Amino acid sequence: MERNDVFKQVNEIFIDVLDNESIVLSDQTTAADIDEWDSLNHIHLVVTIEKKFKVHFSSKEIQSWDNVGEMVDSIYEKVK
Amino acid sequence: MQTSLTYIIDRISSKNKLHAKKIKNNLQNFDENYFSRAELFFRKYQAVLQRENKTLDFAIDCYLQMVADINYETVQFMHTGEYSSKSFDEVNKRVYNNPDIMNYYVHGILMSQFLWAHHYNILIFFSKIINEYSNNIVNYLEVGGGHGLYTSEAISIIGNKAKYDLVDISQSSIDIAKMMIDNNDVSYFLSDIFNFEPVRKYDFISMGEVLEHVENPVKLLKKLHSLLNDGGRLFITVPTNGPTIDHIYLFKNTDDIRSVIAMAGFEPEKEFCIYAEDVSPEVAEKYKVSMMYAGVLKKQK
Repeated sequence: MERNDVFKQVNEIFIDVLDNESIVLSDQTTAADIDEWDSLNHIHLVVTIEKKFKVHFSSKEIQSWDNVGEMVDSIYEKVK
Repeated sequence: MQTSLTYIIDRISSKNKLHAKKIKNNLQNFDENYFSRAELFFRKYQAVLQRENKTLDFAIDCYLQMVADINYETVQFMHTGEYSSKSFDEVNKRVYNNPDIMNYYVHGILMSQFLWAHHYNILIFFSKIINEYSNNIVNYLEVGGGHGLYTSEAISIIGNKAKYDLVDISQSSIDIAKMMIDNNDVSYFLSDIFNFEPVRKYDFISMGEVLEHVENPVKLLKKLHSLLNDGGRLFITVPTNGPTIDHIYLFKNTDDIRSVIAMAGFEPEKEFCIYAEDVSPEVAEKYKVSMMYAGVLKKQK
C-alpha cells in the first residue's frame, strides 16, 4: 500500500467519524483546523483506523501525532 | 498576573493540543466561583509539591501521563467492551504497589479534580450534601481518601465538632492526602478496607470512585453497611464505562450501579449523574461515554 492510499483512506475515516463531508485533509492539518476533532473523537478516529488498517498503536503513538501527516506516517510504517 | 490555572492550560497546550482543547471547553462553562476555588486549590497543591521538592511542571507531566493511559485504555475498551484489568491482585501489582505508576497517578488524579468538569461538578454536589447533613455528622470516614480533597471539603464545612478518619490501601495516597488536608485532627489508616475494624461506627462515610476498583462491589458496600450507623449516610461516586489501568468492575449504566446498591442493603436518597464529556445523551450512548454517578445512600428498612 502506498502512502497516498493510506492518506485517502484516513481522509474518508475523518469524514465518516467526524460526520463532516467537507473535510479535506493535508499533511499539515491539525485539530485546530477542524472543530469536530476533539479528544473524544480522536479516540474514535484511532479505533476506526486500527480496525480499518488492522494495526495497533501504543499509548505513546496515540499522543504523539501533531498533525495528519504524522498520523499517516505512523500508519504507513505499519502497513507498507 | 498569570494564575496557576492559566499556567497549567498553557503548559498542557504546548504538550497536548487535543487535550488542551477539551480543558478550554470545560472552562467556558464555569463561573467565578470555580476560578477562585481552582486558584486556591492549585496554590495549596503547589505548596505541597514544593515540600516534596517537586514543581507544577512535574504535576502537569504526571497528569498528561495519566491522560495518555486513559486514552490507551479507552481505545482498548472500544475494541473489546471490557476493562483490561480483571483481578484486584493484578491491579495491586500493576498499580498500587508499583511506585513508578503511583508516583504520577496520584498527582494526575489530583489535578483532574479541577481540570475535568464532571469531577468539579461532583465536588460541588458533595459540598451541598455535606452542608445538608453536617448537623448529624460526628464521626466521618473517607474510604480510599486518595488526594484528600473530599475530607478537606468536609472539614471546611463541618469544622472540628466531628472526628475524621481516612483509610486507604496506598501509602502514596495517604502521604499526599496528609499534606493536602494538613489537619492534625484527622486519623489515617493504611489498610485494605476489608481488614479495617474501627472501634466506632460512622454517621457519614464518603467513598469516591472506589467501587469500580474491586472484584466484588456488593461485598465492599456490605462492609461499609457494617461500618455505618443505622441513621447514617454513605456518599459514593462511581463511573460507568470508565476504562483506566486500575478499574476492574465494569458498570455499563446507572442501573448496574443501583442494582449493586440494592443488593448490599442500601437505597439511594439523592442522586446526581454527569457525563465525563460535554456531549448529548445520544452521542454518549453511541460512544459509551463514561458517566459519573454520585449517590447519597441510606440503609434499607
